[in-house]
Amino acid sequence: MKRQFGLTVITIFLLAILVTSAYVPRVVAQDDLPNCGTEPVTLRGYFETGFDLPFRLAEEFERQFPNVSWDISQDQFANLINATPRLLTGDNPPDLIRLPTMVTFAEQGLLKNLDEYAAAFGWDEWPVPQLNQNRVAEDGTRGSGSLYAMGLNYSLTGIFYNKELAAQIGMTEPPQTLAEFDEILARAKEAGLLPIMQWGSAKSGMGLAFPLQNLMAAYGPVEPINDWIFQKPGATIDTPENLLAAQHLQRWIENGYFPPDINAIEYTDANARFGQGEGVFIFNGDWQNAGYDTDLPGKVGFFLMPPLEAGGAPAAMSAPLTFGIAANAKNPDCAAFFLNWVATDETARQIGVDVGGSNPGGPSGLPMPPVAEGSITNETLAAGVIIGEAGTSMDFIANATSAIFAQGWTPELQKMVGGRQDAAGLLKAVQAEYERQLSE
Amino acid sequence: MTLGRAEIFGGRVLLIGLMTITVLPFISIFITALHPSGTLPRGLEWPAEPQWGNFVEAFKVANMTALLGSSVYIVLAVVPVALIISTMAGFAIGHLRIAGSRILLGLFVFGLTLPFGGIIVPLYYLERELGIYNTRLAIVLPLIGLYMPFAVFWMRTHFINMPSEISEAARVDGATIWDLFWRIQLPLARPPMAALGILMSVWTWNQFLLALVLVEDPTQRTMAGALGAFQGHYATDVPLLCAGTIIILLPTLIVFMLFQRQIIAALLQGSIKG
Amino acid sequence: MTSDIRRAASKFSRRTSQDKVVRRENIIGWLFVIPALVMYTIFVLVPLLMSIRYSFVRWNGIGPMTWVGLDNYITVLEDPDLLGTVFNAFRLVVFFSFIPVTLGLIVASVMHRVTTGRLGEIARTILFLPQVIPLVAAGIIWGWLLALPGLINEVLRGIGLDTIARAWLGDFDWALPSVGLIGIWVLLGFCTVLLWTGMTKLDPALFEAARIDGASWFTEFTKVTVPLLRNEIGVCLTVTVINALAAFDIVYVTTAGGPGNATAVPGIQIYILAFTELRIGLASALAVILMGLVLVVVLPIQRLNRGAAQ
Repeated sequence: MKRQFGLTVITIFLLAILVTSAYVPRVVAQDDLPNCGTEPVTLRGYFETGFDLPFRLAEEFERQFPNVSWDISQDQFANLINATPRLLTGDNPPDLIRLPTMVTFAEQGLLKNLDEYAAAFGWDEWPVPQLNQNRVAEDGTRGSGSLYAMGLNYSLTGIFYNKELAAQIGMTEPPQTLAEFDEILARAKEAGLLPIMQWGSAKSGMGLAFPLQNLMAAYGPVEPINDWIFQKPGATIDTPENLLAAQHLQRWIENGYFPPDINAIEYTDANARFGQGEGVFIFNGDWQNAGYDTDLPGKVGFFLMPPLEAGGAPAAMSAPLTFGIAANAKNPDCAAFFLNWVATDETARQIGVDVGGSNPGGPSGLPMPPVAEGSITNETLAAGVIIGEAGTSMDFIANATSAIFAQGWTPELQKMVGGRQDAAGLLKAVQAEYERQLSE
Repeated sequence: MTLGRAEIFGGRVLLIGLMTITVLPFISIFITALHPSGTLPRGLEWPAEPQWGNFVEAFKVANMTALLGSSVYIVLAVVPVALIISTMAGFAIGHLRIAGSRILLGLFVFGLTLPFGGIIVPLYYLERELGIYNTRLAIVLPLIGLYMPFAVFWMRTHFINMPSEISEAARVDGATIWDLFWRIQLPLARPPMAALGILMSVWTWNQFLLALVLVEDPTQRTMAGALGAFQGHYATDVPLLCAGTIIILLPTLIVFMLFQRQIIAALLQGSIKG
Repeated sequence: MTSDIRRAASKFSRRTSQDKVVRRENIIGWLFVIPALVMYTIFVLVPLLMSIRYSFVRWNGIGPMTWVGLDNYITVLEDPDLLGTVFNAFRLVVFFSFIPVTLGLIVASVMHRVTTGRLGEIARTILFLPQVIPLVAAGIIWGWLLALPGLINEVLRGIGLDTIARAWLGDFDWALPSVGLIGIWVLLGFCTVLLWTGMTKLDPALFEAARIDGASWFTEFTKVTVPLLRNEIGVCLTVTVINALAAFDIVYVTTAGGPGNATAVPGIQIYILAFTELRIGLASALAVILMGLVLVVVLPIQRLNRGAAQ
C-alpha cells in the first residue's frame, strides 16, 4: 500500500520532468525603443579588458553630455568572444559592444544595421577603407554590403624594436628587405639576445599569427588574404605564396628566434618581458604604444614589415577597434551618436591618439591631433599614412571566423612550435577547419 | 617492540617535507605579491622594499568590494535555504521514512556524481527562459539545486541514526509532525547542520564555472568567478595578480583556520557515508 | 459469534484508522521533501534531460534545431581531437586519483604509526589547506610557479638541473602531467586526512599485534592497513576520479586546453564547443558521454565498497 502510493507519485513526477524538459527555448524579441537627447540615458556597454581607450572615451563623453551615463561591463578577450552571442540575444543587450568578429552575428540579425546612421552622419564620405572592413553582404562575405560596426580608431601593426638592443647588434636603421631582416635576426641570435619576443598561450591566442600574416603579405598580394578573412566564396589560405611564408616562419622557429616557452606566454606577459628588455623585436600593434612608451621611454622604435624585394610596398594588418550596436539595444541612436562623436570631436580624437596610440579615423578634412614628442605614436601614425597610400591594409587572419583563432591558428601554430606540425600541414589544417566552420 | 628512533625520525621528516611542499606555493605568491608592481620576480627572494600597498591596489583595481559583497550575498542566499530544505527532506526520508524513501534517496544520490560541466549548457538556456539569467539568482538557484544530493544524503544519514523513541514519545503526547520536526529533531540536528553549512559556504565561495557562464558582469560573480577576468586585466602585473589571488584566498583560509576541526570532520564523514 | 464479528470489526476499524494516520503522515512527509525535490528537479534533473535532448540535434543556440540522431555521438567518437579529450581525462585520473590515493595511504600510514598529538594535528591541517581554496586560485598560483621564470625552474637550476628547466605548461609532453601535478597538490591532503581518519577508527589491537610480531612498516601496511581501509580508499578513489574526469577550473585558468590539444579535457571542450563554436548539439553529446563515463567508473568502485562493507 505504502509502496504503491510511493511508486505512483514517483511515476507521475518523472513524467512531469519528461514533459517539462521537452520545450524549446524561445528567444524573446524586444521592441526597439528609440530615445536619446536630453533625458537621462544609461548606455550599456560591454568592453574588453586591457584596452583603456574605450573607457577613457566613455568618461569624456559623460563629461560633455551630462545626461548620459555609462554602465560598462568588461571581460577578457576569450570570455568576451564566448559571451557575445549570449549578450546579443539576451534581454538587456549592450548598446555598444566590442566585436572582434562579427560576421555570424550580422548574418543572424543580432547586430543593428548602421546604414541609416551612416547616411545621417555622413560616414559614407569618410575614406573608404575605414568602413569597408565592417560591412557584411547578404551572403555573409565581408568588405561590402551593409555597415554593422564602427571603429573607435584605426590601429596599425608592425614590428617594434628595442633601440638599445638593436644598437648592440649594429642595426642603425630598420631593414628594407626581408633578407636584411633575416640577417639582423641571425646576428641577434649570435649575440646571445632573444631575437623576437612573442606570446602564444592558448589563453591569449597564438601571437605567431602576426609574423605569419606579415610574411604572407611579403610573399604575395594582400587581396587573397583579405578575401579569405572576409569569407568570400572559394577563398583559401592554402596558397603557394602562403606556403612560402609559413615555411619562412618555420625556419624562424627552428632557428630559435622566439622564446622557448612561447606556448606558455600570455599576451600581457610578453609585453611585460619586452618592456624589461627581453627580445629585440616584437610583432604587435599600436594599441600597445602607451605601454611601450611607459616601459621603454624613447628607446622603442617601429617599422613596417619589410617587403620581399627592395622598393616593394609594405603591408600591414590594420583594423578598427570595432564596436557594434546590438540589434535589440535600448539606446541605439545614442550609441550611434557616440560612435560619430569619437571620430569627430576634437578632445575625443586627442584621446584616441594619446591613449589608443592610433589614428582616430573620421572625415579626411579633420586635422590629426598632435602627438607627444618622443612617443612611438609618431612613428606608427607615419607608418599608417604609408599603408593608407599603398592600399595594403589587411584585417587579421585570426578574425576570419569567430572560432578560427581558438580552433585553428592557435593549436596548429602551437604544434608547429613543438615540432609537431609543419608549414604545409598548418595551412591545410586551418583551411579544413575554416571550411568546416563555414559549412555549419 | 617499540618503533625505532630511525623510523620515527624518518616519518617526521616525510611529514615535514610534505607540509613544506604544500605551503610553499602560498608563501611564493605571498612574497611575489610584495614585489614592486610590474616586475617579474624570480624565485623566493624577499623584495628590497616590500610593497604592502599592492594589496590595497589589487583590492581597489579589481573592484573587490563589489566582489566581496556579491560573494557574501550569494553565500547568504544559498546556504540557509539549502540547509533548511535539505534538513526537511532528510528528516522526511531518514526519520519519517515516508513511502518511496528508497527511490527518493536513489534519485538524490544519483546526482552526487553529476559534473557541473555536463549540465551547464542547458542550464544557461533554462535560466534565459526563466528570466533569471545574468542576475545573482542565476548562480544562487542552481547551486541550491546542485547541493541537494550531498545535503539531503548528509542530513538523512543523521536522521537515520536518531533513535525513534523520542519521536514516539512525542507522538503519544499528541505532537504533530511539524512539532516533531521543529521542536525536537531540528535542535538535535544542529551539529551536522553546522558542518554542512560551513561546507556549502566554502563551496559557494569557490564556485567558478557557474559564475563564469551564467553571469555576464564579472563584478556580480563570486570571488573565484571574477578571478578569470582579473587575470586577464592584470597578467602583466604579476605582483598585483598575486596580491589579488591572496585576497581571494583569504576568506576561505580564515574560515578554514577557525573551523578546521569541523570542516575536516564534516568532509570526511560525508565522503565516507557517500 | 457476534463477539467474533465485533472483535474482527474492531480490528478492521483499528487497521483502517491506522492506515489513515499513515496516509496523512506520508502526505505531510512528502510536503517536507517537495522543496528540495523541486530545486533539484528544476536545476539538475531537467537540465540533464535537456542535455540528452540537445545531443540529438544540430543547433547553434540561436536559430532552429535540426534532428540528427546519433550523428553527434559518432562525431565525438570519430574526431581524434574530441576523442582525445576523453583520453586526456583518463590520463588525469592517474594524476588526480591513483597517485594521491597511493601516496595518501603511505603518508597516512606513516602518520598513524609514527606520530601522535601535535605534529599529526598540524600536519593534517596544513595538508588539507589546498582543498579549501578555489581551484582557479590553485591554477593561478601553480601557473606562476611552473612558468619559465617561476619557482620550480629556479629550484631546478639551483640544484644544477638547468637542462630540465622549461615552461612546463607550454610543453606538449609535460603540460598534462603539470596539470596533474596541480591536481596532486590539491587532492593529496584530502586523501591523506581521510585515510588517516579511517586508520584511527580501526582497532588499535590489530596494529599492536602486528608490532608485537615485529612487523616492518611495509608488512603492516600491506597486510593490515590497506585491506581494512577498503571503504575509505573507495571514497578517495570516487572523489578524485570525479575531480579528474570533470576537471575544468584548473585547466581553464592555466592552459585553456593548450598547447595544441595537449590538455584539452572534456570539461573545457564542452565549454568551447557550446560557447565559442556555437555547436550546442555536439557539446551536449560530449557532456552526456562525460556523465556516462563518470557513472561507469564510479559505480564499480561503489559496488566494491558495498561488498567490502558487508
